Amino acid sequence: MKFIDKETIKIDRELSDLDNFTLDFIKILEKNTDYVIVSGYVAILLGRARASEDVDVIIPKINFSKFQSLYTQLKKNDFYCLNSEEVSTVYDYLKDNLAVRFAKKDTMIPNIEMKWTKSDFDKIALENTIDVVLSKGKIRISHLELQIAFKEEVLKSPKDLEDARHIEKIAESYLDKELINKYREQLREFYK
Amino acid sequence: MSFTSKNQKERMRFVDKWAEYVKTHSDKDWSRQQNMVINSSLKSASMTREQFFKMKGEKHFQI
Repeated sequence: MKFIDKETIKIDRELSDLDNFTLDFIKILEKNTDYVIVSGYVAILLGRARASEDVDVIIPKINFSKFQSLYTQLKKNDFYCLNSEEVSTVYDYLKDNLAVRFAKKDTMIPNIEMKWTKSDFDKIALENTIDVVLSKGKIRISHLELQIAFKEEVLKSPKDLEDARHIEKIAESYLDKELINKYREQLREFYK
Repeated sequence: MSFTSKNQKERMRFVDKWAEYVKTHSDKDWSRQQNMVINSSLKSASMTREQFFKMKGEKHFQI
């Protein structure tokens, strides 16, 4: 794993079924909108020894016709939405700030949990990204400092604390410790 | 110390050990081992849509 610069990490890993699934989805998504991957899959991509049934993706708010085009392309590529088959219903869920899930046809797991930017922290995640370069493509993840702070200050489950610890250890020399503390304070203030 | 906190401490120790392994071994090496966990877990997962949404605590879906 090479931490090339603040925006690039190169990993010469063997791709898992979860990586291949995510790359397939991202290939379609990035043609239609900006995106960032957050939470558990970030830790997994960086080597954390656990699985996950879903991959969390944040996208900016997009209009219906843009979403319809994305939805059509996903369907053409064997993805379906677990929440509804009606594109307008799926769009309404997003508008209501609910996450929607996409999986490959005839499967439930793994799936992509996609939501719109809701809070300022979602916007920060979307604006401050790292490209993880793999053998078959790039996956855009949120800055690790925000991921660590969010898992430690907001989510706080044993699984999340372990994810945060893994990222902290793996990227020890790469991380901006002051930035982690800044995010921690902001999150504490926001969620109190 | 309770069983839960003892267990969590033990799990954290493993996280540290594994992170050290990842840092000191090639990407191919650690990912091959990690993939055994990921791929087998995905293969063994089997549930209905209703069960999945119930597990996630989500109610916004149509049958």
